[in-house]
Amino acid sequence: MKFQLTLAARYLSGRKLRTFLTTLAIVIGVMIIFGMGIYLPSFMDAFNKSLLSASGQTDVMITLKTGEAFSASSTLNRIKRIKGIETIAGSLERTINLPPDFYGKDSPVSALTLTGVDPSVAPKLHDYRLTQGRFLERGDGKVAVISERLADEIGLHVDDTLKLPTPEGVVKLTIVGLVPGRTLIGNEQVLVTLTEAQKLFDMSGRISVIEANLTSQDEAERDAIINTIKTQLGDTYAFGGLTSGSEFAGAMQLGQVVFNMFGVFALAMGGFIIFNTFRTIVAERRNDIGMLRAVGASRKTILSLVLTEGLVQGIVGTAIGLGLGYLLGVAMIAGAGSITKSLMNIEMEVVVEPLLIVVSITLGVGVTLFASLLPAWNASRVTPMEVLRPSSGQVIQHISRLATIVGVVMIGMAIAGLLTGVFAFVALGGVMFLIGLVLVAPALVKPIANIFGALLAMIFARGGTSLLAEGNLTRQPARAAITASATMIGLAIIVGAGGMMFSTVGTVMDMFGKSMGSDFLLIPPSVAVWKGDVGASATLKARINAVPGVGVVSSLRYAQSTLPPSAQTGSKGETVVSVLGINPVEFPQISSMDFRQGNAQDAFNALAANDRNVIVNGILATAANLNVGDVIPLVTPTGIKNYRIVAIGGEVLSMKINTAYISQASMKSDFRKSEDIFYQVNLAPGADPSTVEQRLSKVVENYPQFRLVAGHDYTAEFRQQYNAIFGGFYVLLALLAFPSLIAILNTLAIGVIERTREIGMLRAIGATRRQVWKTIVAEALLLASLGTAFGIFAGLYLSYVFVQGMSASGIFKVAYTFPLAGVLAAIAVGLLFGVLAALLPARQAASMEIVQALRYE
Amino acid sequence: MSLIQAENLTKVYGTGNTAVVALDHVQLTVNPGDFVAVMGPSGCGKSTLLHLLGGLDRPTEGAVSIDGQALAAMSDDAVTELRRRKIGFVFQFFNLIPILTSIENASLPLLLDGKNAADIKQKAVELLTKVGLGQRLDSRPNQLSAGQQQRVAIARALITEPILVLADEPTGNLDTRSSDEIVDLLKQVAKAWGRAVVMVTHDPRIAAYADRIIFLKDGKIVNDAHLEAKRTDNAEMVSHMMRTIA
Ligand SMILES: Nc1ncnc2c1ncn2[C@@H]1O[C@H](COP(=O)(O)OP(=O)(O)OP(=O)(O)O)[C@@H](O)[C@H]1O
Ligand SMILES: [Mg+2]
Repeated sequence: MKFQLTLAARYLSGRKLRTFLTTLAIVIGVMIIFGMGIYLPSFMDAFNKSLLSASGQTDVMITLKTGEAFSASSTLNRIKRIKGIETIAGSLERTINLPPDFYGKDSPVSALTLTGVDPSVAPKLHDYRLTQGRFLERGDGKVAVISERLADEIGLHVDDTLKLPTPEGVVKLTIVGLVPGRTLIGNEQVLVTLTEAQKLFDMSGRISVIEANLTSQDEAERDAIINTIKTQLGDTYAFGGLTSGSEFAGAMQLGQVVFNMFGVFALAMGGFIIFNTFRTIVAERRNDIGMLRAVGASRKTILSLVLTEGLVQGIVGTAIGLGLGYLLGVAMIAGAGSITKSLMNIEMEVVVEPLLIVVSITLGVGVTLFASLLPAWNASRVTPMEVLRPSSGQVIQHISRLATIVGVVMIGMAIAGLLTGVFAFVALGGVMFLIGLVLVAPALVKPIANIFGALLAMIFARGGTSLLAEGNLTRQPARAAITASATMIGLAIIVGAGGMMFSTVGTVMDMFGKSMGSDFLLIPPSVAVWKGDVGASATLKARINAVPGVGVVSSLRYAQSTLPPSAQTGSKGETVVSVLGINPVEFPQISSMDFRQGNAQDAFNALAANDRNVIVNGILATAANLNVGDVIPLVTPTGIKNYRIVAIGGEVLSMKINTAYISQASMKSDFRKSEDIFYQVNLAPGADPSTVEQRLSKVVENYPQFRLVAGHDYTAEFRQQYNAIFGGFYVLLALLAFPSLIAILNTLAIGVIERTREIGMLRAIGATRRQVWKTIVAEALLLASLGTAFGIFAGLYLSYVFVQGMSASGIFKVAYTFPLAGVLAAIAVGLLFGVLAALLPARQAASMEIVQALRYE
Repeated sequence: MSLIQAENLTKVYGTGNTAVVALDHVQLTVNPGDFVAVMGPSGCGKSTLLHLLGGLDRPTEGAVSIDGQALAAMSDDAVTELRRRKIGFVFQFFNLIPILTSIENASLPLLLDGKNAADIKQKAVELLTKVGLGQRLDSRPNQLSAGQQQRVAIARALITEPILVLADEPTGNLDTRSSDEIVDLLKQVAKAWGRAVVMVTHDPRIAAYADRIIFLKDGKIVNDAHLEAKRTDNAEMVSHMMRTIA
């Protein structure tokens, strides 16, 4: 074994550039997986912590499973006399997303937690440790105790006034005391009396949290007490904190899937490059291998020799990849940290899961070993005889007929899979298509090389260089195909992902135009993650309606709900659902939905009929396996209520999140919510937009939580944001495309090394340096064109598959957009890469000393 | 017992019209201490014979046993081990591993055998010094002249103290003086160590060092002559024989 290591080390150090490039491929793969693996969980961790920070240190904490507020009389009063409870109190807690610059320009505070507490009981539950002023007292009105940090951040002191946006407009509270900041990360705290909080948010008699301390410290006794409470309240309540799910977490999981996909792609790419390199390495070392066999190396020795080399590279590459991945993760956390901090008030710290390390190492080393397996096996099949006959050194490679047939069959199956329209087959088809192309490539090289060769002959008119280049390719179709495949896979991913993005963006923008097509919008600080948004009471809508020149006004209301675990879907946990309340008469006049089942007219009529009817969106329908006519039990503050599905459809606001649309009437009776969080306004016919805009901005002046924008401005803004998000994906794509550059460079360099003697001979018989240089560049161009052609073809197929798959899965219907820009970019990138990759080996070949080249073994 | 026993050794390359009979029912016995030269016109099957004797290739017909072991009955691994432990090869094209130094190249068979590197090194240095490369122990093949490379190959062939050394035109690329030194070395191996050496050569002067010459023509042995070590006109005799055979 030690001998194998020595040999491996020698070979690796003997070809430093190549070793570096191959290792780089592994490094990039591991780096992406590890870096993303650090970033996303850290993000989720921070997010969960900030949720958990809402939970105090009391013995029992009771919330509605959905997190919504509930009636105090039907809960608190029912359980407060249970034996064993020492102290119990209800409070109303609410996150308030602040509009930008609410507390002056560049204020770091973007959200607050307002808590209404019972001033006489709360201090017994929590140790508030006042640092200045006094605590709240019974009968306090517009008076608040706030955290020191908040006071610092917005520059307020005791006796100053604090502004807060509420559904009734901005209110001013007098600060009477300061408490130390929370130890855990979370939104800064504002404490008011419970009565005042209920008044501010128009939620009289309602609380969102019950906290209690128990008399006993004994585990069993405590459990018994908690069980008694549970039976009293029923199963719509959660004990000990918020339920794990949240609408935001759902959106994040999608992101994680996408990132993981990129990591796997990158690693597969790395594996392919390694495979590629090892194949050429083995070809290049045939002589050495044959020699070793002749002097007594067994097949096993040769096998382990190549595998050892793979292992060494895998370990080194993985180690470096882990290091760089860690830096990437940290950098992303630092970079994203400032954004998430200001947007969501989340502070992230770097968390490295041991499992992630294990997975990254296994993947990195495993992929490398796996990729070197086949070449190693091939190496062990080299017979001494092959190298003892110097004349037979370079036989013309034969195209494997079997591989071609298997490839054609796989492509055929891929297309058949596509035609079935079944998501699993379509997805499988995508993978088979790529493999099929790689297999068929050698057979296609010759005819295509001929065509491109003719083209190149025109460009490099004289000197027979293109003839030589073309000859080199057709003589070694397998190697040429491997190089071209590397380009192909790289570009297929670019074009494929480009197609996916264009199609998705196109579809989303289309939906956006339909849903947000109104003349004006009143937008809360956070769209789609509604939970912390403070809305307005019905007064505001009435006032908007009264503005001269305003035609239709439609508003959205929001509540959080869950579906209980269900046998139908096999879901063990609760499914978190965002419930949007719409006015079934006004909504269709101003916005529209895409329906997958049912139709608009029946659906909105059913909602207007005031029964418990619901429209669910595609994501929810797919996740919970729902169909029109099904009845779903939604958890509400007034107990579980059964809603009947009248249609499946959605619009841009519900794109990523489980959403159920109900009428505002149902929302009021079941969810006790009548706060509008989003408005769409259309002008009356003939009204002047700018006059109306002025009037509207006057009306919303006292509601800074809303931003008044013209519909088309918002669409433009949204498009910009969307593009910014996808811009990040392009960076990832570039990261993926980079290894394919390495792959081309690698195979070309090896091609030059293999032909060293031949090149020396060419130079000896009178080829100029320039001619040699041109030959190599021409060869690279040929390969790059081949790869580009295949790559674009495969990429188009992949993006089409994706779009079909998306639509087939029912999550959301995507219309296919031809990624023209992606194709053009791919052509540019492919050819550019080809030439770039050729320059180094071409220079090397051209500057070769003739005598050295002839002596080369 | 004879060291090499070849019966009816036949090798046919290709099939049908394009079939080439490289060796045609060759019978051959070689004993320990024999220094055999194989001669004959280009393409007569000399290399083929050597490859079959060394177990590098399998005959179409007939059988080879080395030291009483029939190669046909052995697995690839077993033949490989036999090669590694009992046979030393020297090829016309030096076939050294370019990334290894002289010492490492010479030690290769023992390294492959899993021997302790420290012991091997001493042995390799000894052998390399003996073949006159004491000064170039750490050189890579591309830093050595053709004759020097061939000496490394001979050191490699001898390091396992093989019972049989097979050399295919070991002096083919060397000048007269280097050739004489190399073939002298091979002769020593046969005579002083009592091993068997089978050497292919085109050069009558080199062949004259041997004590037995086998002439091949069209894959058949056409003459098997013994030379007397005492005589000084052996080279002329060999040239004469070559001419009569051609
Ligand atoms: N792999 C092969 N395929 C087909 N024919 C072969 C092969 N190897 C050798 N031959 C043929 O077998 C015959 C014997 O070849 P061999 O190499 O043994 O000759 P040789 O006596 O060593 O010649 P030289 O003195 O030129 O080295 C030749 O006619 C050669 O063309
Ligand atoms: Mg020969």
